[in-house]
Amino acid sequence: MSRSNSLVPYLLVLPGFLLASFIILWPIYQLGLISVSDVNRFGMLKGFAGAANFAAVLADPEFLGALWRTAIWTIGIVGGTLVVAFPVALILNQEFYGRALARIIIMLPWAISLTMTAIVWRWALNGESGMLNSALRSLGLIDTNIQWLAQASTAFPVQIVIGILVTVPFTVTIFLGGLSSIADDLYEAARLEGSSHWQTFRRITLPLMSPFVNIAIVLNTIYVFNSFPIIWATTQGGPANSTDILVTYLYKLGFRFGKLGEASALSLMMFVLLLAFTLLYVFMTSRMAKR
Amino acid sequence: MHKALLRQTALSLTLALGASLANADTLRVTVAEYSSKTGPYFEEAATAFEKSNPDTDVQIEVVPWDVLLQKLTTDISGNANADLSIIGTRWLLDFVQEGLAAPLDDYMDDAFKERFFDVFLSPSVMDDQTYGLPVAASARAMYYNKDLFEQAGIDTVPQTWQELSAAAQKISALGDDIAGFGLQGKEIETDVYFYYALWAYGGQLIDDDGTSGLDSDAGYQAAELYKSLIDANATQPGVTSYSREDVQNLFKQGKVGMMITAPFLSNQIRDEAPDLQYGVTAIPAGPDGDRGTYGVTDSIIMFENSKVKDTAWKFLDMLFTTEWREKFTAGEGFLPVNQEVAATPAFADNADLKEFTALLPDARFAPVITGWEEIAAKTSDAVQRIYLGDADIKESLDDAAASINDILDN
Repeated sequence: MSRSNSLVPYLLVLPGFLLASFIILWPIYQLGLISVSDVNRFGMLKGFAGAANFAAVLADPEFLGALWRTAIWTIGIVGGTLVVAFPVALILNQEFYGRALARIIIMLPWAISLTMTAIVWRWALNGESGMLNSALRSLGLIDTNIQWLAQASTAFPVQIVIGILVTVPFTVTIFLGGLSSIADDLYEAARLEGSSHWQTFRRITLPLMSPFVNIAIVLNTIYVFNSFPIIWATTQGGPANSTDILVTYLYKLGFRFGKLGEASALSLMMFVLLLAFTLLYVFMTSRMAKR
Repeated sequence: MHKALLRQTALSLTLALGASLANADTLRVTVAEYSSKTGPYFEEAATAFEKSNPDTDVQIEVVPWDVLLQKLTTDISGNANADLSIIGTRWLLDFVQEGLAAPLDDYMDDAFKERFFDVFLSPSVMDDQTYGLPVAASARAMYYNKDLFEQAGIDTVPQTWQELSAAAQKISALGDDIAGFGLQGKEIETDVYFYYALWAYGGQLIDDDGTSGLDSDAGYQAAELYKSLIDANATQPGVTSYSREDVQNLFKQGKVGMMITAPFLSNQIRDEAPDLQYGVTAIPAGPDGDRGTYGVTDSIIMFENSKVKDTAWKFLDMLFTTEWREKFTAGEGFLPVNQEVAATPAFADNADLKEFTALLPDARFAPVITGWEEIAAKTSDAVQRIYLGDADIKESLDDAAASINDILDN
């Protein structure tokens, strides 16, 4: 009786586990298999290649450049989003006339596909007929058109700004959830004790929000690290690979150049990097649950 | 008595089974979407084919050009490819080497072969076997804006790069938002835009010794020419942010004096900017009279693992009749690959297309080598660095040539 009881939980978990393995573990197994194989451009395995694919990726100078830019890209967007989203969430958490409308406006970009947003930006950034230049010109801020996407020194920062804009809605949602979970009595008690706005923010809001900030950082890092559409739709990683991040470089490697072995090796490396972040995420949520 | 009945039943069962098998004859065709007309055209062809072959179900899968190779790769690695597919002819070697494309010669007779212009059929022939039929053909020529020429006081259309350079500077002087020469510096065919000058200076993509032709005098001179046009403000500003479509848009808006592109721009101008006064002429020649245009064909191939090859061939045979080719070619703005189609008034009397077909003797096709896409990307990267002024011309081209030679050695 007790023996069969101890089996029941596992039996109940089994279907879900099988489904998850099929969806998650099987592709990883395939990826691992291809990454150590000699593979033709159509994904047919031609034999064992050992670590040759990994070595080829690591030896490619474009890889290091893309890795470095991925770091800037991820830190820039995740950090920038934090800086923008926190005040926005604080404002949206106040009672004011038209708050519901303001919340909808902040959330709206989330409803549009990322690729569509990126393509609209590509038009807006066009040097001769783009809206950004004509807006800046009519405001008198610039005299000659800026060719935003012509060189990495302007293209990459603009891409990061677009990244921040599309990441803000999700982050604000998390923060609003966090803010509404802070009990009003805490603020009331603080007011009675005569604490200033800054002290309330510093001593109550910020510490109680830290788990939500952490989660936002980890989740955004995972999304942004793998984000493909913004860069691909605006510059395809160009000119001369100067705006490539790992995931755009991966696409070129796999589907343009047909080096599926190297592409698999690279995506495994990216997977390991992200797995580290995911473990961090699990660790944080479990810590938050204990509180 | 019983026996006879049994036999009859068995016979009718077999017949029924046979009929249902024939019914299950499904022909899958992957086609690239060249324009919004591509899908409807192939659907119409499928319906017509099903009408004359009631046992066949033709399934057309329309894929945007940009993701065609990706879809084919995924389909093939999953063993789920269609029976027929359009591919870029420059990928054909990979398909043939891996045994994916079926040779078609057993199906073709001389009369069938004679439907085609040889210049377009020959890129699909490897080791004396025909592996694909040219479904779309295109070349490049120079478009020029007659109004801008007149305003700048230019009477003759440039025939050499020297003349083009002078004309481009005159036109650029007309205004801040007017550019003499539209120079493409981004995305697909950025390398090809550089080859026009490379060929004019007598260069080749792959030299006779089998190494890259970029690190040659022709390569350096071609790059210097383009860089000098950029530095003289004779091109649109920020060339590395202009894809072929972006430059075409400038041309349609009347902001660019000259640009080199494919015949389909004529159709776009007809539909979107009918008042634009433009002409089509040959790509300028170099100092020694060399010139070259880029010839491109897409082929339709039959997969070796297809189980309905005979049906697939019947469908191909229909697609390459004059009637169906004419409809397709006129709709998409390609060059005719069928001799009879070329003779129809729609094409024979088209002044723009005549300029393109006149260039065909100078047409150069992408070399048939594996890894061509990567070589093209290396070339694009190198010329982008030069256009940006980030790298010295010789250094940049020499570096690119070195990595291209590595690819060629593999």
